[in-house]
Amino acid sequence: MPSKPAKLQIIWLQGITCNGNTHSFLNDSALGTLLQDVQFLHHPILPSALTLRELVSKLPKSDILIVEGAYEAGFERAGMRMDKLLSALASKTKHIISMGSCASFGGIFKESSPDTISGILFDKTKASGPLRGMREKVITLSGCPAHPEWLSFVINMIRCGKTIKLDEYRRPKELYAFTVHNGCLRNEYFEWKVDSGHFGTKEGCLFYVQGCQGPFTHGSCNKILWNGVSSKTRAGTPCLGCTEPTFPKTELFSTKTYMSIPAEMPLGVPKRSYLALAGAAKSFHIKRLEERLIDDNA
Amino acid sequence: MITHELIERIEGEAVIDFRSDESGRVEDATIRFLHFRGMEAILEGRSALDALVIAPRVCGICGHSHLIAAAEMLESLYRNSGMEITLSSKAQSIRSITRLSELLQNHLKWLYLIMLQESAKMLGTPLSLSLKALYASSQINRLAALFSGQWPHSSYALPGGVSCDPTQIEVMQALKIVSEVERFLESEVLGTSMKEFESIRTRSDLLSLEGDYGTLVRNVDRLGLLESGQSHGRFLVLGLHPGCERVSMDEKGRRAADAGRVSEDASHVYEGKTYAKNALYEGTFFETGPLARALVSRRKLIQSLHGAGGDSVLTRITARVDEIVYLLRHVRTLLETLDLSEPSFIPPPRIETISAEGYGIVEAPRGSLIHRATLERGQITSYSIITPTQWNLGNGTSAAPGVAQKAMIGAENNDKASFIFRTFDVCSVCTTH
Repeated sequence: MPSKPAKLQIIWLQGITCNGNTHSFLNDSALGTLLQDVQFLHHPILPSALTLRELVSKLPKSDILIVEGAYEAGFERAGMRMDKLLSALASKTKHIISMGSCASFGGIFKESSPDTISGILFDKTKASGPLRGMREKVITLSGCPAHPEWLSFVINMIRCGKTIKLDEYRRPKELYAFTVHNGCLRNEYFEWKVDSGHFGTKEGCLFYVQGCQGPFTHGSCNKILWNGVSSKTRAGTPCLGCTEPTFPKTELFSTKTYMSIPAEMPLGVPKRSYLALAGAAKSFHIKRLEERLIDDNA
Repeated sequence: MITHELIERIEGEAVIDFRSDESGRVEDATIRFLHFRGMEAILEGRSALDALVIAPRVCGICGHSHLIAAAEMLESLYRNSGMEITLSSKAQSIRSITRLSELLQNHLKWLYLIMLQESAKMLGTPLSLSLKALYASSQINRLAALFSGQWPHSSYALPGGVSCDPTQIEVMQALKIVSEVERFLESEVLGTSMKEFESIRTRSDLLSLEGDYGTLVRNVDRLGLLESGQSHGRFLVLGLHPGCERVSMDEKGRRAADAGRVSEDASHVYEGKTYAKNALYEGTFFETGPLARALVSRRKLIQSLHGAGGDSVLTRITARVDEIVYLLRHVRTLLETLDLSEPSFIPPPRIETISAEGYGIVEAPRGSLIHRATLERGQITSYSIITPTQWNLGNGTSAAPGVAQKAMIGAENNDKASFIFRTFDVCSVCTTH
């Protein structure tokens, strides 16, 4: 009888974080199945083989190192500086997953000290982070937070020995080649240029006034739904662009316009093409799209 | 003798410096939180509505409470600048449903991932991960996401209401989840019906319960800790919460609470040692959170336990479990009475017209959470946050210790003191935002 292959050994390390990715991961509905195939040498909340203190004193080898939270050289975990801790664990692992936008690009926490805080591989768009010498090992799962299914997908791909196609920020294309706009329930309103007027309605597109970044943000939020049921745009909230190195931008609930059209175009669409199509679409006034979907529902 | 314990498997990490006598009994404890992230400075200079995106990122487990606090703070800024802003009762109910869902998943995680695990470990019989508890908490997060779009880190509450526009489909899905969680609560957590549980009045009846809560109480009994953990017996609820008024309770009785009597003390904050400021009410330490809310809302089981044994570990643990029962029932009522014909959002004047000071207070999983800000024409010029753990885990002096400090003094050894510390449901990331 061939013996069962050994479980993948995973270390989950936290930098400067809110624990949002940890709690996002705990939402994974197939966590039990995943834990049949992998073992956490260390995790901040889940029962694991090593405490943080033991992790720092042993600096063990692993198959996958997951990093959550932004990087700052002098930030300490259990008394060890992050420059030492991260490079030691990273050099002894086969794969590194940058979990969430803070670990990926610096994210929200970079804002408090832009000169000293970055992601582990990227500092915003520049590949100048501390793991730049190990670039080939890093897979980026940006997002604030990252979706649990994105992580289990990557872990399972590694476990099955499959190649993951990556984009320029080393994000899996199967997750990030889409825009958040793909699969949005408001697509028809976008096609016919019907804006949503104000927040709190299921009708209308949020791209024109409410600041939605869905058409130019890479992510599968409307393909792999959040908590299995929804997404920001489905709940009437604009996409905030949280998977991109530019997150967080400013004035997040209003669309920046130039000559009264959105300043930022849908990904890859030339402004001239957009204008030609938008002008035509707008002129039709489709009655069904200008009315409430369910009339007794305010 | 001085020893330092690194407290892991909380939200983040903390260090407690224990001073003990020769037998190891704790004489004094200083709590240090080591990580500072500068959330308030990140908010300053930004457009006011950006707080609805930045503020939830204070905390991965209670970010939704931070969102609602920020939204209510923005609404108070409107009112304080003389502008009218109204919310439909539908919007208010939906905000309560999602906020209370966050409390429910938090309490279940604390019960199963922290308390049951740690007590079993101390008894030498470590447990494997409770997947059923994680499944239940993920279902509750799904319930919230039906309205808020996602959990964690939604930004669906805005001054004037909520961004979602639910239909009966979402309401029925949410009620289905409530039923499922009720079944989990009765068969797995309580080992009896919710109603039976709430009618219990004595410690011995709690000890004979068959569910996982009963196991925890028996574990803690075997550790000899049920009566330990007594603190000042001063309680505070500053936010609006089901069944609660805004009330402070101490040896002089029960009085209406006023956020104007809150102060912060930074005298213990020093570079590299701790970044947690103390939150004080009328210049002294008050306990906030589920135990305070249970006593303020006069929930019978917790009043009986408190009457018999004071603010002990048993009372504090049971208050969190009792709150799961109480809030789950409340979420069901809110869902059943939700009037979808009301507007979700009533547009207020543009935020750029607002210059004022204001604050918002909500009851977060661990207690009263305050967001306060000043705006100049819609831009944030100052922002300050007081989190629940600053009330419960602040450092006083040997003569006037903080709430958790006092609860730990007299514990037989560091391990037992650390367990008492965890009964407060420690969140380091919030404390040092």
